[in-house]
Amino acid sequence: MDGAVADRSWRASTPEAIDADLAALWRDVGRGETSVARAVMSNLIVFRSPTSAAGGDMAALVGGVPVEEVAARHPSRVIVLEHCHGEAPRAPSASAVGILTFGPPTARYGVELIVVRSACPEPSLLSILRRFVRGDIPTSIWWTEDMSDAAPSDALLTVGRQLVYDSRRWRDARRGAAAMAPLVRHHRVDLADLNWRRLAPLRRALTHARGQLKSDAWRGVDVRVSHAADEAALAWLFFGWLRSDGVGCADPAPMAEAAATAARDREGGALLAIEIGDMHATLSLRSADVVCPDAPPLGVAAAAESEADAVAAELRSLAPDRTLAAALEAIVERFER
Amino acid sequence: MTIVIFGGGGDLARRKLLPALYNLHVDGVLPPRIAIVGVGRKPMSDDDYRAFAKAGVEKFSRRPIEAHAWEAFAAALFFVAAEVDGEQALAPLGARLDIVEHERGLNGDRIYYLAIPPTLFAPTVQQLARSRFVPPPEGRIARVIVEKPIGRDLQSARVINDAIAEVFQEPQVYRIDHYLGKETVQNILVMRFANSIFEPLFNQKYVDHVQITVAEEEGVGTRAGYYEQAGALRDMVQNHILQLLAMVAMEPPHSLDADVIRDERLEVLKSLRPIEGEAVDANVVRAQYGPGFILGKAAPGYTEESGVAPASTTETYVALRVCIDNWRWAGVPFFLRTGKRLPKRASEISVHLKEVPPILFNADRSARLDPTILSIRIQPDEGFSLGINSKVPGPHVQIYPVKMDFHYGSTFGGSSPEAYERLLLDVIAGDATLFMRRDAVEAAWQWVMPILDRWAERGRDGLAAYPAGEWGPSEGEALIESTGRRWMAP
Repeated sequence: MDGAVADRSWRASTPEAIDADLAALWRDVGRGETSVARAVMSNLIVFRSPTSAAGGDMAALVGGVPVEEVAARHPSRVIVLEHCHGEAPRAPSASAVGILTFGPPTARYGVELIVVRSACPEPSLLSILRRFVRGDIPTSIWWTEDMSDAAPSDALLTVGRQLVYDSRRWRDARRGAAAMAPLVRHHRVDLADLNWRRLAPLRRALTHARGQLKSDAWRGVDVRVSHAADEAALAWLFFGWLRSDGVGCADPAPMAEAAATAARDREGGALLAIEIGDMHATLSLRSADVVCPDAPPLGVAAAAESEADAVAAELRSLAPDRTLAAALEAIVERFER
Repeated sequence: MTIVIFGGGGDLARRKLLPALYNLHVDGVLPPRIAIVGVGRKPMSDDDYRAFAKAGVEKFSRRPIEAHAWEAFAAALFFVAAEVDGEQALAPLGARLDIVEHERGLNGDRIYYLAIPPTLFAPTVQQLARSRFVPPPEGRIARVIVEKPIGRDLQSARVINDAIAEVFQEPQVYRIDHYLGKETVQNILVMRFANSIFEPLFNQKYVDHVQITVAEEEGVGTRAGYYEQAGALRDMVQNHILQLLAMVAMEPPHSLDADVIRDERLEVLKSLRPIEGEAVDANVVRAQYGPGFILGKAAPGYTEESGVAPASTTETYVALRVCIDNWRWAGVPFFLRTGKRLPKRASEISVHLKEVPPILFNADRSARLDPTILSIRIQPDEGFSLGINSKVPGPHVQIYPVKMDFHYGSTFGGSSPEAYERLLLDVIAGDATLFMRRDAVEAAWQWVMPILDRWAERGRDGLAAYPAGEWGPSEGEALIESTGRRWMAP
């Protein structure tokens, strides 16, 4: 289910008329020569800052976020919420509805898309979301903003089972961790960090290496992590992973420019470089590689994954990622010290 | 055929009846010779009535007005001003009907639609008898359609039914519950009894519990006068929700004959375990909405609404745990809830099947599988869906609940007929399947009465509160969560 959009039907709507307008769109779609089945595996609330796009074009309304690609991979009722904090309770100011159609003519399926623009205080935001989510399917919130800048409100989190975000967007890891603190402490929603997925090859490689080297040998060893520019959050996630496993680690530091360049040349663009005693590991976009003395080099390929692939994979996962939660807890603790 | 609408200038006629009749006309399913005669207190010319009807159709019909179709439809509309007080109150109506029927070549078959307050049911049918509308001439048809509410308790329902029975025989009486006219409700019977997969599962062996939610987003609006006297239990549970329950729980009828189906629905109502005395406190939650938010906007509390007494104890929300004491449903709780100012307008029935044994994929109690749920969406978004746990493609065993989703809109296209269209057509055809028989109405009241009596005893005591825009009070959540289950939001 990851084909391109075959057709887009959409119309401007009013908040009160969204259900009726969606029903009318389905009737229009249903009158076509090709039958279109509705596909809906979850509610996906896409939270984003208000854009200047208005009225005319659905692609513009959801521009900048790969909504269509995610819907193709994990058909959901997509609710794009453009929200800015308002002073007084008031109805959403604008909305649009659409149906994205996918699949070959013999097996067409359609995905519902609702775009709502609102400016109201947080308590009244919930009443907007409750109106549009379906209760018989899981609800995920995809926070497309930098959480170190703006964190999801309590109200928003009460409607979802899962919060999908990307710590790679964090401009400030410390503030990002501070924003995560209440979520980590209260376990209110399952957390899904797209950046965390990028660590998977490194975690596998090191876990394997630790098995070979008897993991107790890591305890008390000096661990240093350095990261490429814009990869501080990734480094902190790695830090949290080690800490949550009882392995001490110094605070991550940016790679020295010369070292970064050398690493890029050598490893095809290293994102992280790690020293664990006399063991060296790097994570690049292509692989995680571990070099230990007295053992052959070890490499784990990093699968190329688009943002849409990553979001869809997280949406399909209904179990909480306890390892991520533990890593986040360790990061939060470190920053609160 | 002549359709006489008492209350023809009222809200129900404008919003529902006239648009429904217009759509039936456009579909070409009304009898070719027909007259529709509105009756009301306020004088109105035929042309004024046609303008009134046109405005209603323009605003509330599922189809826009087509000039040609409207012209023919409007020609069949007439209005007569009449009161139901006085010895010869309906004499002008009789005279006018004779003229209209003569001019339009009608044979005198008549349907009387009582779109009027219940207090006028008895005087109106008495006037019909006094003015010799009923019984009709030999070989002619006279039917009466009665709108809810039929009484506000068992006694008043019996009074109304007795008054109607003095004039009309039971087969001539069509008590409307418009929920039964909805396509999805009719589809419950088809789904259950035309598919071999579902009916074998509809019993205590496989069903863990059933939920019925009828949620309204609107507040009391302009109906405070009525609603203050009614409340959610009378307004929704006694009629609509119990009828839905009966459709879901009834035994397979041996034929599609109206009385056979109505007998089976009645059996369910008679099998409901009475909730009496203190059992009411444990099994029924009532609540009233307070201030909150609806679709981002501030919404007032019930007692701040126009026409509502500040100290009102009228419930705007009710949730019940109900048991059906018969072989099929023994031990299976039915959780019913309805309320105003809930987050959205939605009516849904969900049948929750029992969990699989906790041995294989359900062994980890901290990551339990979703139960299999059959959801029947009555409105909006009509259709039904079945949740099935399925393996996510990939090297690991990862399970995700996928939906088999039947959606009227995308499957059949076009707009479904409104409930009133189907029901009016059934009355014209003389099919009473989707109408409530006297015994069913009274059985429903009989079951509801101990709850009303208990509330009357307790007054404000036990009346919970919930903010507008929430799914009811915490007590409503506790009612189901105390059994290890959760409400499923529509």
